[in-house]
Amino acid sequence: MTDTSPTTADPTARAAGDRLLDVRDVVKRFGGINAVDGATLDVVRGSITALIGPNGAGKTTLFNVLTGFYRPESGAVVYDGKSIFRRQPHVIARRGMVRTFQITKALGAMPVIDNMMLAAPHQPGEHLATLLFRPLASRQREKEVRARALELLDVFGLTAKADDYAGTLSGGQRKLLELARALMVEPRFVLLDEPMAGINPTLGARLLDHMARLREEDGVTFLFIEHDMEVVMGHSDRVIVMAQGRVIADGAPDVVRNDPRVIDAYLGDPDRRGAAS
Amino acid sequence: MSVLAVTFDAFTNVEFWIGVGVLAGAYAIFALGLQLNVGYTGIVNFGQAGFMAIGAYAMGILVVDHGVSFWLALPLATLIAMAAGVLIGLPALRLRSDYFAIVTIAFAEMIRYTAQNARELTGGNQGLLGFDDDWVEFSIEVQDSLASVGLGDQFLLPLLLAVWTTLLVLTVLLRRVTNSPWGRVLRAIREDEDAARALGKNVFAYKLQSLAIAAGVGAISGYFLVLNLAFINPQQFEPLVTFLGYAVLVLGGLASYVGVIIGAVILWTLLEATRFIDLPLSAEKVASLRFIIVGLILILLMAFRPQGILGKKEEMVLGD
Repeated sequence: MTDTSPTTADPTARAAGDRLLDVRDVVKRFGGINAVDGATLDVVRGSITALIGPNGAGKTTLFNVLTGFYRPESGAVVYDGKSIFRRQPHVIARRGMVRTFQITKALGAMPVIDNMMLAAPHQPGEHLATLLFRPLASRQREKEVRARALELLDVFGLTAKADDYAGTLSGGQRKLLELARALMVEPRFVLLDEPMAGINPTLGARLLDHMARLREEDGVTFLFIEHDMEVVMGHSDRVIVMAQGRVIADGAPDVVRNDPRVIDAYLGDPDRRGAAS
Repeated sequence: MSVLAVTFDAFTNVEFWIGVGVLAGAYAIFALGLQLNVGYTGIVNFGQAGFMAIGAYAMGILVVDHGVSFWLALPLATLIAMAAGVLIGLPALRLRSDYFAIVTIAFAEMIRYTAQNARELTGGNQGLLGFDDDWVEFSIEVQDSLASVGLGDQFLLPLLLAVWTTLLVLTVLLRRVTNSPWGRVLRAIREDEDAARALGKNVFAYKLQSLAIAAGVGAISGYFLVLNLAFINPQQFEPLVTFLGYAVLVLGGLASYVGVIIGAVILWTLLEATRFIDLPLSAEKVASLRFIIVGLILILLMAFRPQGILGKKEEMVLGD
């Protein structure tokens, strides 16, 4: 298993200009373990791409590297034509590349509406100088931000919860809040870490619908880690498979589903499986 | 047969209340800074007494050694304390919050020991005197005009008015900046730094601002404490001062500036009133007993109202 070249679904669709994210040979080491071990992949502009792989494949670690939360040992990460390798998380987020977390990070002791409004960019009132000397600019922006926040809460069915503390939301509602909050940043690229885990199918369907609509209307690109194969196969244009810190397959859902290397990664080598039994 | 007799004369004594008022006001200002750090930003600053010391000594040294006017020395020393906040924050705010707490307490002790030993500069344990001439002059003028409208002849009354005016102005200002998008980012950092980062907020810069402002506010509280005693001495900046500040914070409740004011008044009324406990004990034992009583009241408060007087219970429970 030294061959790590991915199976390419459609080479013509992935010219440099079409690639929103370009990841080359990224290595992230913890002690002696290479959690991400030379991962190379790209994400096409306007796509909904799934990132799958068995537990411990390095998917979440890779997310943390891409969004600046972990400092990688080596490699290259280019987003929208500019390197974001080893940049600070807030710098990356401000460029429109926004993530959610596997374990939700709802700001529990803040109301839902404040969670939402916090995420809005270009708020002059977040700087002390403008806050004190141009209070009107801050108040004007607050009005716009609140309207936008209420709009999004409505889309995600959280309007009734707007004034409740985020800590009172259920697990599924927190997932929705986190996605809604990420959208407040006005992102062009959203990375979702297991968005479906722990949310009921009705809410899950709403979330997927909304992703599709954002892609259609605003050209937002999505990369999401997911274990639910039905969701992966039914709702992504492309699937990237990771195992042991590397990308082992990459292509259209149907192609990846039948790739022996993928089956192997999930179930183990068929020969050795036979030998062991 | 007096088991615990308190002579209530003290409570009708104007001087007693003015004394309590000055201390409560100064400690309330002190704790306003802590509130911004601990209650709103979630950074555990245990070095507030150090910033207070830097402010007080900077003011004293500017006036006594460099002939700067007292009124100009106040803003200058406040800026120096804020710069110290930035300086200590730059390395220390990168640490995890518990390590940060330890570093700040060490920093405050370094400042105090330096003040104790750099005798040329600070007067060491002899203290620094003669920085308050301008203030005394002004204070007597105010006292005279107060007396002329029949407001008694209390020596500390002008200081009391100055402390409480400053306290109210700072409270209004701090409330304004924390009930804003800026304050919302601070609260988000308190709740979850990584979430704030992921949403594009420069967490480190906000923590640094929060610490610098708290340092400046701590310096201001120091001016009143040293004016109250008319000299500056290293013992005024022991870690105990910071701990009393935290007692005020816990009493009043987190994330409430008004709570801080109420907490400070209660704490200092208790600490000063218990001086008058009339027991057949030595003065030292009575002094210890005062702190035992205050401690007991804090324990009872924690048991029956853990969120403090004005703190919000939901925010405490839902915090994590």
